[in-house]
Amino acid sequence: MTSTETIRAIQENIARVIKGKPHVIEMCLVALLARGHLLLEDVPGVGKTTLAHSLARSLDCSFKRIQFTSDLLPSDIVGVSIFNRQKQAFEFIPGPIFANIVLADEINRTTPKTQSSLLEAMSEAQISFDNKTYPLNPPFMVIATQNPAEYHGTFPLPESQLDRFLMRLRIGYPAPEEEKKVLERASSLHPAEELLPLLTAPEVVQLQDQVDKIFMEESLTEYLLSIVQSTRQSELLSLGVSTRGALALSRAAKALALVRGRTYCLPDDIKELAPIVLSHRIMVARQTGLHQRSFEQAERIIRDLVDTIPVPV
Amino acid sequence: MLLSQALHLTSMLLASASFIGLTLGAGLPEWLAAVTGATLIAVLLRNMGMKPVDRLTTQMPVSAVGWNLIVLGGFVGFWIDLLWVSGDLLPAGLHFLMILMVIKLFNLRLRRDYLHLYAISLVAMLASGSLTTDLWFFPIFSIYLLAGVWTLLLFQLTKTSEVSGDVWMSAHIRHTSHEENHRVSPRLFWIANGLALGAFLITVVIFFTIPRVNAGIYQKGFGENLRMSGFSDKVNLGAIGSIKRDPSIVMRVELPRSPLHDARPLYIRGVSFDQYDGKVWTNQLSYRRSLIEESPGTFTFRGKRAVSRSQLGEAMHQKILLEPLDTPVLFAAPFIESVTGLFPSLFFDATGAVYLPFPSSSRIEYTVVSRATVLVPADLGSEPGPYPEWVVRQYLQLPLQSDRITALAGEVTQKHYRPYEKATAIQTYLTSQYRYSLDAPLAEQHQPLEEFLFERKTGYCEHYATAMVIMLRTVGVPARLVTGFMATEWNEYGHYYVVRQQDAHAWVEVYLPHSGWIRMDPTPTEDNPPAGGPVWKVLGLIVDNIKLQWNRLFVQYSAADQLAVVRELKAEGMSVRNKALDSMTLLFGAFLTVLSGIVPHNVSQVRIGVLGELLGVAVIGLAVLFWLRRSRPWVARSLWEKGRGHELVIAQYYRRMRTYLTGQGFSNSTAIAPLELVEITHARWREAYTAVASITEVYCRTRFGHLPLTPEDLKHTEDQLRHLLELRKPQA
Repeated sequence: MTSTETIRAIQENIARVIKGKPHVIEMCLVALLARGHLLLEDVPGVGKTTLAHSLARSLDCSFKRIQFTSDLLPSDIVGVSIFNRQKQAFEFIPGPIFANIVLADEINRTTPKTQSSLLEAMSEAQISFDNKTYPLNPPFMVIATQNPAEYHGTFPLPESQLDRFLMRLRIGYPAPEEEKKVLERASSLHPAEELLPLLTAPEVVQLQDQVDKIFMEESLTEYLLSIVQSTRQSELLSLGVSTRGALALSRAAKALALVRGRTYCLPDDIKELAPIVLSHRIMVARQTGLHQRSFEQAERIIRDLVDTIPVPV
Repeated sequence: MLLSQALHLTSMLLASASFIGLTLGAGLPEWLAAVTGATLIAVLLRNMGMKPVDRLTTQMPVSAVGWNLIVLGGFVGFWIDLLWVSGDLLPAGLHFLMILMVIKLFNLRLRRDYLHLYAISLVAMLASGSLTTDLWFFPIFSIYLLAGVWTLLLFQLTKTSEVSGDVWMSAHIRHTSHEENHRVSPRLFWIANGLALGAFLITVVIFFTIPRVNAGIYQKGFGENLRMSGFSDKVNLGAIGSIKRDPSIVMRVELPRSPLHDARPLYIRGVSFDQYDGKVWTNQLSYRRSLIEESPGTFTFRGKRAVSRSQLGEAMHQKILLEPLDTPVLFAAPFIESVTGLFPSLFFDATGAVYLPFPSSSRIEYTVVSRATVLVPADLGSEPGPYPEWVVRQYLQLPLQSDRITALAGEVTQKHYRPYEKATAIQTYLTSQYRYSLDAPLAEQHQPLEEFLFERKTGYCEHYATAMVIMLRTVGVPARLVTGFMATEWNEYGHYYVVRQQDAHAWVEVYLPHSGWIRMDPTPTEDNPPAGGPVWKVLGLIVDNIKLQWNRLFVQYSAADQLAVVRELKAEGMSVRNKALDSMTLLFGAFLTVLSGIVPHNVSQVRIGVLGELLGVAVIGLAVLFWLRRSRPWVARSLWEKGRGHELVIAQYYRRMRTYLTGQGFSNSTAIAPLELVEITHARWREAYTAVASITEVYCRTRFGHLPLTPEDLKHTEDQLRHLLELRKPQA
């Protein structure tokens, strides 16, 4: 089975659970293959958790879910050292972060201290504890969810942390007919439980390695950079996209090309991904009077900017 | 061959051409020529992949600063050269230029080094072009032009294929995955050569149509003038003999108005002599008066001719290209009626010889109309008329001599009464009784004429002619000695005579009362074995003709020639051109009026017409090209079979498609990505969808994927584009 076919099979697999959202599933896979982390931002009950769950189920990978609450401590994520009487030594008990796919549910409900404990894991795929470093097994992907509608008792993620997510996605309500299909399911079992794994962890790593081989033409790199430049120069934004953001967009574009069965990137890839990859990395300027943290606002600004950049011909 | 390798090669060729040009034109010192030549060969060998040379040149422990110091040293050397060695700006500058070239050749790393090399070559070429007028410049220039076109083309091509900006990677250590794309294909080969030919043709057109202002500023003289004897006021008997073995070319005489030639020898008259003292001939009538300049450049005798009242033969037109000589005599067939050429003034003396104010140090070209005298029947029949007083006074002088000559003359002519018959008798006597030989002693003799006539009985033209003149004068017939050339070497390919030093000749002019001066030649023809085989002879004739034409058309090319060329062109294609000319005049009438206001009035109307025509052709050609590029991009297909060329063509197709879709009412935003455009088409114009999708697919694959393209793909895309261009979007 070629990589394209494998990827398509996984997409179809997940689509059996998440109805009518092929685009979201595709982006999910892009994040996975680009070795990135995903931030799902949407109202409760549209299938954020189910999406993460079914992705994990489709892969033969370990999956842990952490429900973030205001009293969650870093050790609840990373793990603890317990004194072992037999060995007369402290023993590290790994926390839920030691999994291939980690679902960080409602990440903005916990304190910044706990949130930042995720930082090292997300950027370096390793955990340092008691002066010892524990590498995480690849593939490692954090899927975090947050509810944009609630503000009371939340701790909005700092920019530095948001920057570590490859992309921010919204799922959105399904179309009426798709929603109907969801309701018509006559099964007591959680839909994701029915899925069969299609890929092993090493195979996922192999696919991730393939992304590196996707060819991006020089003019496309320039195109990408001019998009990033425009966010830095725009008067609507007080903070533009960082170099890490540009790198993320490039990786994501390559992953998307692989997902779509190409060996090379197209301007379309970059153009399509720019809003979801870049929008959480920018800050809307105060003077604009726009809602500063609004998902839609930021995405629209990015989309408008991209529409002014000429595509290389 | 890789493009970068080819560029290196053509760059070397460019440098070599300019170097050879400069060496031949300016005469570089041997050591400099050797150093430059060796450097060129070494660099060329390195490019060919010769390992030892490569190691030698790459291991030279000289840093960038070191090179700068060397250049500085060269500059110091230039000043030393300027102040003490050559003492002149031009040679010192040229030496410095060559040194710069050598330094650059060793230091070819960056692209700008190559540009410097081209600049140096250009300056060297310009210098050699202005320093010389010789024929060899033509092949050198052709090579330079060819190499130049190749180099520019390859320089541009390698620029676009170069991935990282300024760093020039040596040709043979380059092994990229796209290597296939950077090779010289047969198509590129022909395109480049075609371009060179085109450039050459344009150069020729410009050369012949743009009025010339001046010749090269530094035009070099032709070295030493040919040393001549026998063409001054005084000539020792036997002087001509010294040059009779010298084959250097003295002049070429073209006969433009007489296409049929019967290969008779042509007598080209120089000066004549009236006084003989037994050893030396002198001209007592050497007082020179200036000729009247009738119209600019044309000098005529207009009735003041020394040979008056004679009946004249047909006018003979000659175009003469005279090498620099050390005599101011202007040679031409007798007798000169008018001379046309770029002279400040001309002089003539009473014997009919024409002189320049001073000997010319460069080649000169002039046209002469002359009319020979003909023998009038009155001189053959009845009584000989009386001689004019000035003839008797000047042309019957005799030196002190032995009676043997008088006796011999009387003996030869005793049966004849009329002067012409006497002359013929003496001529026949000399021709038959004496043997031609160049072995006559050149040393001073006591009585050379007596020795010739009675003792040695061998001699050459001067002896014969002197003998005849003296014998004629003895029997009372006025005569004089004439020196000049007898041209026998007819070049049928160029329709001209080649005249050499060894053709120098002396003959006799006899004065007859009714006819005037009649030429007679007592010298028997020399039986010369032809030199070389017939093939070499023909080849020599052809090469000499090319030399002449080169000099005529390029070196001496003047406004008058220009007009002649244009006239000839006009005459050849008259009927075809007339229509075109008319329509062109209609089209560009206003422009032509303006032009004729600017251009001086002496420029003929024909020229303006031709100029307008050229302009019109250029405009139409450009319009057609532009139209092809815009609406039929497949016509302007790739220059290359493989590689980037296809990418460019496909991108052009895609651009054309986008322009067309914009024209059909689609958004023309440049921010629309390719697949996006396909989707937009899918939503809004279903008929065009297949074509657009197909073109876009191939475009994306080639342009962004750099994937190979099959000819079928290209053909298919072409068809799809054609199909699309025929579609019309229904108005919503």
